[in-house]
Amino acid sequence: MSTISVRNVTKKYGAVTAIPDLSLEVTKGEFIVLVGPSGCGKSTLLRMLAGLESITEGEVAIDGEVVNNMMPRQRNIAMVFQSYALYPHMTVAGNMGFSLKLDGADKAEVAERVNEVAKILALDSLLDRKPAQLSGGQRQRVAMGRSIVRDPSVFLFDEPLSNLDAKLRVQMRAEIKSLHNRLGTTIVYVTHDQIEAMTMADRIVVMNAGTIEQVGAPLDLYDQPANRFVAEFLGSPSMNLIDGTISDSGTVVLGSGLELPLGASLRAGAEVTLGIRPEYISLSDTGGMKVRCMVSVIEPTGPATILVVEMGDEKVTIEVTGRVAHRVGDFIDIWMAKEHCHLFDTSSGIRLDQ
Amino acid sequence: MDATVNPAVRQGQGIFSRYRRVDTITKLTVIAATVIALIYILLPIFWMLKSSFQTAAEIKQLPPKWIPDQIRLDSYQDINLLIPIWRYIFNSIYVSAAAALLATLIGTSAAYVLSRFRFPGMTLILVTILVTQLIPPITRVFPLYALIQDAGLLNTYTGLILSYAGFSLPFSILLLKGYFESSCPPEIEEAALVDGCSYISTFLRIILPISLPGLAAVTIFTFLNAWNDFLWASLLLNSSEMKTIQVGIGDLTAEGGGTRYVSMFMAACVLATVPALIMFIFVQRWLVSGLTSGSVK
Ligand SMILES: Nc1ncnc2c1ncn2[C@@H]1O[C@H](COP(=O)(O)OP(=O)(O)OP(=O)(O)O)[C@@H](O)[C@H]1O
Ligand SMILES: [Mg+2]
Repeated sequence: MSTISVRNVTKKYGAVTAIPDLSLEVTKGEFIVLVGPSGCGKSTLLRMLAGLESITEGEVAIDGEVVNNMMPRQRNIAMVFQSYALYPHMTVAGNMGFSLKLDGADKAEVAERVNEVAKILALDSLLDRKPAQLSGGQRQRVAMGRSIVRDPSVFLFDEPLSNLDAKLRVQMRAEIKSLHNRLGTTIVYVTHDQIEAMTMADRIVVMNAGTIEQVGAPLDLYDQPANRFVAEFLGSPSMNLIDGTISDSGTVVLGSGLELPLGASLRAGAEVTLGIRPEYISLSDTGGMKVRCMVSVIEPTGPATILVVEMGDEKVTIEVTGRVAHRVGDFIDIWMAKEHCHLFDTSSGIRLDQ
Repeated sequence: MDATVNPAVRQGQGIFSRYRRVDTITKLTVIAATVIALIYILLPIFWMLKSSFQTAAEIKQLPPKWIPDQIRLDSYQDINLLIPIWRYIFNSIYVSAAAALLATLIGTSAAYVLSRFRFPGMTLILVTILVTQLIPPITRVFPLYALIQDAGLLNTYTGLILSYAGFSLPFSILLLKGYFESSCPPEIEEAALVDGCSYISTFLRIILPISLPGLAAVTIFTFLNAWNDFLWASLLLNSSEMKTIQVGIGDLTAEGGGTRYVSMFMAACVLATVPALIMFIFVQRWLVSGLTSGSVK
């Protein structure tokens, strides 16, 4: 059963079309992550779900009911804002209990529910403080607590972690994920951080310029990107992309003249882009395609080493586990795993090797 | 090891004690400056207060008598014989409070719209508001008088109230606009809407309480300006029982307030100060800053 249905939704701001035509079904209990570059319409879509932005055309249904003309409060949703948007004049308990109070719950009931949620989020000792007296991470927790207290049918998160430092972000990521496992409530989560998307999502929606590029489970998108945009967007360091053409003999000839035995089924003369992720290139013979290159950058990260090598005119990024003995300027052999090479149509970006 | 550590410690102590001494000097200087400033500000007020308890003869004594022999309240009773002081004070309270209320209401609505929506002509409106602040106030005497006269509002409280509210609106709007933008960003309202508020309850339960310091500032500003005004009250009102307290006191000056009735004049001045003071004490507790920090980011 789907909790949220977005059917052919369009959003225009005057002459500007932020979302041309978008459809999406979200299953009950699913953790959906909307991801994409800045300005691609993630917040706009989320705010239309929340009822904070009008829907120009199309339909949004929550729990089977069309909500286009409903006020936010009638939609049974809760939202966590990037800036937290806590009520500065209320205590933590006041912030968290506000929606229940509006619902007409009696005092004891509100207090009980607030205490219950405060315990889950380790906020019990802070209930009497004002938001100004909290740290960034604590405010973030209060903002989440405020939405959890209501037990809504959908949680909407708009980049809730982007104001936290890296360490806290990793910690909160795990907490949100375990919260989801515990509550089982549908979550629509906006981020532009692809690691957040990969680690948290049941399904990722990759957006670009107001349209959906691809929807799917994180690893499916990672391994089987529908197009060059998705391939490049997910993964860090990102996928190597090298332009080339298909030769008469069905091989791929790269700009530098290098010929690779790929793309036999494609039309000769077609312009293609070769894509391979940095971790599928190896420095030892693993049976892939062997290429000789020059090392130009070495970046040890601890568990892994990232190398940038020059293959003709192209720069290629390689990620290997452990350390390497090479130095900048060395000529080395690399092996590219053939089964992990993708070919994209250069002009349309669509993946050809599926 | 001792030898390497000790000089550093000693030096540290040296610096510390030097800072301590500077600190004491700074403190004393600040206290002295504050006391001087306070005397400068409060001396005339003290003079007014103590004179209201003295007889005319005692006030004029040389060298001046700073502490009255006895607290005489006669002048506070006798002032009623000279002017209808309570009526004037009431007039002033009415006009100032009405102007403050009106300016706060209009200012809040205007500032809210200007802080939340983008619409054509908005920049023009803002620039116009700013420009009105650049024109010397005295230049509006004639046009405004003519305007009030044409509107048939001469010698009415309405005319005066509208003028006072109008004078304070540009400043009020600019102040509140900034306030709404910085202290009450739209996300807070959106959070309230999602939490279950209607537009009206969002305003009453969220925006209003958060904006109270801003509203208080505008209310005080308008009230005190209206309360202290002499020019417009004397221009626009001429029937004697409608006068405001400032005009009433002005009349008194011309009728022996500086000579024969000087202690009554001082009593009138004291009475004219009290309502403004009460108003300020009442509203200032909402002026506390920092109330809103921490809502976002
Ligand atoms: N009020 C508005 N008026 C006009 N255009 C708008 C308005 N709000 C958003 N847009 C446009 O709609 C597009 C999508 O904006 P949106 O805020 O949804 O982006 P986003 O994906 O959330 O980006 P970010 O990651 O930076 O938050 C942008 O191109 C933006 O310029
Ligand atoms: Mg956004």
